[in-house]
Amino acid sequence: MTILFALIAQSLHRVRKFLLAVGLLLAGFQVVLILQANSIQASSSFAQMGALVPAFARELMGPAFVAFLSFQGIVCLGYFHPVVMGALVSVSLTLATVPVMEIETGFIDLLLARPVARHWIVTRSILVSLISAAYLLAMMALGTWVGLSVFAAKATVWPSAGLIRSMAINLGFLILCWSGIAMAIGCACRRRSSAGAIAGLLALTAYLTDYIGRAWKPADSIAWLSPFRYYTPFDLVMGAALPAKSLYVLGGVAIAAFALAYVLYSRRDISR
Amino acid sequence: MISGSTVISIRGLTKRYGKLVAVNRLDLEVQRGEVFGFLGLNGAGKTTTIRILLDLLRPTSGNASLFGHDCQSDSQNARASVGYLPGEMGIYSDMTGHELLRFLARIGGVGISAKYRGSLTERFELGDRDLSRKLREYSTGMKRKLGLIQAFQADPPLLILDEPTEGLDPLMQESFYELLNDARSRGRTVFMSSHVLPEVERVCDRIAVLRKGEVVLLSSVEDARKLASRRVSVSFRQDVATPASLPHGYEMIDAQPRKWALRVTGQLGSLPAFLAALPVADLAVEEARLEDVLVRYYRDGAA
Repeated sequence: MTILFALIAQSLHRVRKFLLAVGLLLAGFQVVLILQANSIQASSSFAQMGALVPAFARELMGPAFVAFLSFQGIVCLGYFHPVVMGALVSVSLTLATVPVMEIETGFIDLLLARPVARHWIVTRSILVSLISAAYLLAMMALGTWVGLSVFAAKATVWPSAGLIRSMAINLGFLILCWSGIAMAIGCACRRRSSAGAIAGLLALTAYLTDYIGRAWKPADSIAWLSPFRYYTPFDLVMGAALPAKSLYVLGGVAIAAFALAYVLYSRRDISR
Repeated sequence: MISGSTVISIRGLTKRYGKLVAVNRLDLEVQRGEVFGFLGLNGAGKTTTIRILLDLLRPTSGNASLFGHDCQSDSQNARASVGYLPGEMGIYSDMTGHELLRFLARIGGVGISAKYRGSLTERFELGDRDLSRKLREYSTGMKRKLGLIQAFQADPPLLILDEPTEGLDPLMQESFYELLNDARSRGRTVFMSSHVLPEVERVCDRIAVLRKGEVVLLSSVEDARKLASRRVSVSFRQDVATPASLPHGYEMIDAQPRKWALRVTGQLGSLPAFLAALPVADLAVEEARLEDVLVRYYRDGAA
């Protein structure tokens, strides 16, 4: 157990500056969105914005369109904005491909020459991914809370803590799902760049599949394959409860992918 | 059956990469307290064998064990008593020397004597100031010294060293040889690969020469040296005729009226009798060089 803690501590120590920077950026982004929502609210421009949105976009968002064009909706945008999702998925891919990076650099030779079980390397990376995801989501929630407390006008209606929590949990499961997929891919690759490129391309394809599926009926038939389909921020903003089925699917894929990563890593040759 | 003093046991070990055979039916045993040299040209299979011992690579067939623990099925226990220096050390350049040594000591699972580690850093002239620097500032030689310190710092019963003196200056090589002697005198076993034949001749008790994944020579350094032919130079006080025949194992390289150069393979016991009737003025016998034998094995695979 001491060895596992040492591995986790070393991994977190290595990425501390990177995580700190991403955490601050994400928290800052939440604050900026609140400032923006404040400004739109102050100029009563939500109705004007609604008129500017093309019909297809309204259709795409459905009834959530109304909820989105509000102070609360803009604040919640911080939890499903493509930039935020892209950043979180990128961080998860980066951390999940650490095992293959260690093989590529040869650092793993120093670790596995000692009485370190191979599965501890994968376990360490899973725990580091979990801790990092929890920290980043906490930073986003902190940014939202600080932004609302400090900058929101008194008359505004804040999104409930329950809504923010639901979105963060759903988003957390989505990140975990991509961590698992990236780790499994990484454990089968010889190069981190290959693993990152494959996982990144897969994430982009899955995102576009989900996005197109929402607007184009034929694509909707395969959109269930995309993990992004199981992150439903619009429904949550509309007041729906956190869907347990989505969490089961995302969690199930994550567990299956982590299990596959264990198997692949334990069987592979550790060679550059 | 592995005897109590057997530290490394390799039986029928084979590793294939598709059609390429990296190691072919390798059999080897290394006994406790030995310094064992593992020799061969690049691509002979030395590093592959070492990586199988550490369970970094999985063999295609055969098995290997360290201290009786199978390197695959019981690899954690097998590796618990090993200090390893990789041929190329992959390190994070943003770590300091201290951080790396502390981290590796923690995951080694055994206590490290600060006194012993201090003696190692002193021996390799890697002071506190050097160890506080980021590894990106280290030279190749400093990284090698750090690699040796991390391998030795837990004072493990078995040291597996892949090209240990690569990148070390002559003074540090001397320090390493002294360290190796100390380790041997304390009963530690050393399994090292090397290209430096004089080094092998100096520090190893036994050697195995690997060629295309197969052992072509397994012997003590002393016995291997006997396989080498020695050059004998003889000067005469007056002109002598070239002999019509030579004793078995003798070869005339250069025959002049007052000077012969001979190559003698095997023992020199017959030399005094051969020269007894001749007006010998001077006699010089060159020491047999292990290098001559090994180079032949590298090339041909057999004597």
